[in-house]
Amino acid sequence: MQFILEDIINGILMGSIYGLAALGLTVIFGVLKVINFAHGSLLMVGMYVAYWAVILTGLHPYLALVIVVPVMFLFGYFLQDIVIKPIFKAEKAVREPITVIIVTTGVWYILDNLSLLVFGPQYRNLQDNPLRGKMLEVGGMLLSVPRLWGFFAALLTAFAIYLFFQKTRTGRAIRATSIDREAASLQGINQYKVYNLAVGIGTAAAGIAGVSLVPFYNIFPSVGVLFDIKCFIIVVLGGLGSIAGALLGGMIIGVIEYVGTQFMAATWTEAIVYGLFLVFLFLKPSGLFGVKYEW
Amino acid sequence: MGRNTIRIGPLVLAGVIALGLPLAVRSATYLHILVLLYLYAYLTTSWNLVGGFAGVLPLGHSAFVGIGAYTSTVLSLQYGISPWIGMMIGGILAAIVGVIIGLPTFKMRGAYFALATIAFAEGIRVMVENIDNLGPIRLNGPRGLQIPPLNTGLLNFMFATKEPYYYIILFMLAGVLFLTYAISRSKLGHYLVAGGEEPEAAMALGVNVARAKLIAMAMSSFLTAFAGTFWAQFTLYIHPKSVMSLDISFEIAFIALIGGRGSIAGPVLGALLLRPVTDLSRIYFGGKLPGLHLIIFGVVLVLVMIYQPRGLQEPLTRAYRSVTKKLFGHTEAA
Repeated sequence: MQFILEDIINGILMGSIYGLAALGLTVIFGVLKVINFAHGSLLMVGMYVAYWAVILTGLHPYLALVIVVPVMFLFGYFLQDIVIKPIFKAEKAVREPITVIIVTTGVWYILDNLSLLVFGPQYRNLQDNPLRGKMLEVGGMLLSVPRLWGFFAALLTAFAIYLFFQKTRTGRAIRATSIDREAASLQGINQYKVYNLAVGIGTAAAGIAGVSLVPFYNIFPSVGVLFDIKCFIIVVLGGLGSIAGALLGGMIIGVIEYVGTQFMAATWTEAIVYGLFLVFLFLKPSGLFGVKYEW
Repeated sequence: MGRNTIRIGPLVLAGVIALGLPLAVRSATYLHILVLLYLYAYLTTSWNLVGGFAGVLPLGHSAFVGIGAYTSTVLSLQYGISPWIGMMIGGILAAIVGVIIGLPTFKMRGAYFALATIAFAEGIRVMVENIDNLGPIRLNGPRGLQIPPLNTGLLNFMFATKEPYYYIILFMLAGVLFLTYAISRSKLGHYLVAGGEEPEAAMALGVNVARAKLIAMAMSSFLTAFAGTFWAQFTLYIHPKSVMSLDISFEIAFIALIGGRGSIAGPVLGALLLRPVTDLSRIYFGGKLPGLHLIIFGVVLVLVMIYQPRGLQEPLTRAYRSVTKKLFGHTEAA
């Protein structure tokens, strides 16, 4: 039974990093009501920024956060401001603009292939960083140290975003916009600025996920695709727009992947995850913690 | 010059050019590119029945391509059934799967529908990749199936040269375009457009929106599966990543959206514009600048969505009309 427990714990640790990656997606959806298909690519950009920050400055991998978070925030802020905003302005009346989904798909293709063009297809990793392959032994179980830090990063980031939304004036403006765009505008909130901020925060969260992954994960141009669909599944499981839901959804996926591989080929766990996703879509599309949203 | 001459004239011209093209294009490479162009125009036109007229965004049509390719290939390899018959059976199977997918998903809107279709298609692909033998049926998992090029001929849907494939896909494209035209003029077409734009209003008028969408989905998946069989017979090797990958679904959607979804000319226009970008950039820049065509796709898609959200067919149709008006002094009715 020990090995099952070990798998569950490792699944929760890795799953919380999935949840961290999905956190930005759920924040962006919560405010813009748009599923950002480029989210995996934003994660990929975050990983490359972290990688180069460490390589070029020789920083400790986790200190790269100082560079990654502001860079990614600005990246997301201007991505929304330059690329997505014109469509919102053109399609004001639409409740959930399908055109924006398509544009984010275009952004996904541009970012992934641009990084293929610039960095090449090779897998990169931080060869001799202090965290690589480091294990912690607890009661006969081996836990991965970088994943453990990722777990704490996920909890802290989720808590920080929650506090920001609840306690600050800007956070309240963001929440007001997410509940009712028009009413918020009438109160003098600039909805486009709120959107910029939301995408900026979501992208910065993807950057933090990138920093957590870089010490033990390979970095390559299409790495985002591995996380893309996983992130969609996680946010639907947890409830689109729910921060706690993203973390819990991520952990569920992580546990399925880690425990599942004890009983079947790893590729079959993927099929189980898709099946679970579809069951949720049909039976409870609002997810575990989602607010009921009229589709 | 009558009104009909203006409308029919260019179509006849395009048809004659398309029929005569293999006489001018002798290079197998360019013929191959043209076949792929028609194939994608065909796929996108089939997609358009759901993605264009019904106003939803399906991103899982690769599943139907895969079903078509695998059905006909398995039937011809293991049971010696002609791929033409396999094509029909694959189409029927795909239509059934399409309706099964459509039944629960058409209740969802926008993003949820797109995500559900992706999950379905990816789920089917993952299963095929994991299954070597499904009962007596040999799927060969991720390694795929190879069709030995032994008995060429029309009955076996297998030819040593590219020309026959060219004409087959050309006729398939012409057929699906005519079908789309007929549907757009029919009651079903109006039901679909009404249900896509204003579902509540359409339902209030007594339109069974769900039924219309399901019929469209069945037809769309049926026709998409044909392209799968064609693909299998054209390349003689299929594996889950080649006929069921998400990239196919996305490329189809891109072509439709850039060309203009919901119009008849849009998918063909999109394929005409984008397929050469793909193939030529692969030929000339593939080694040095990998992924260049996908960057171009992305940039074009973003620009078109910002400035021409109804696709490129709209400004081009307008330009064409003003030219014919100047030349012949007629305004063409929409």
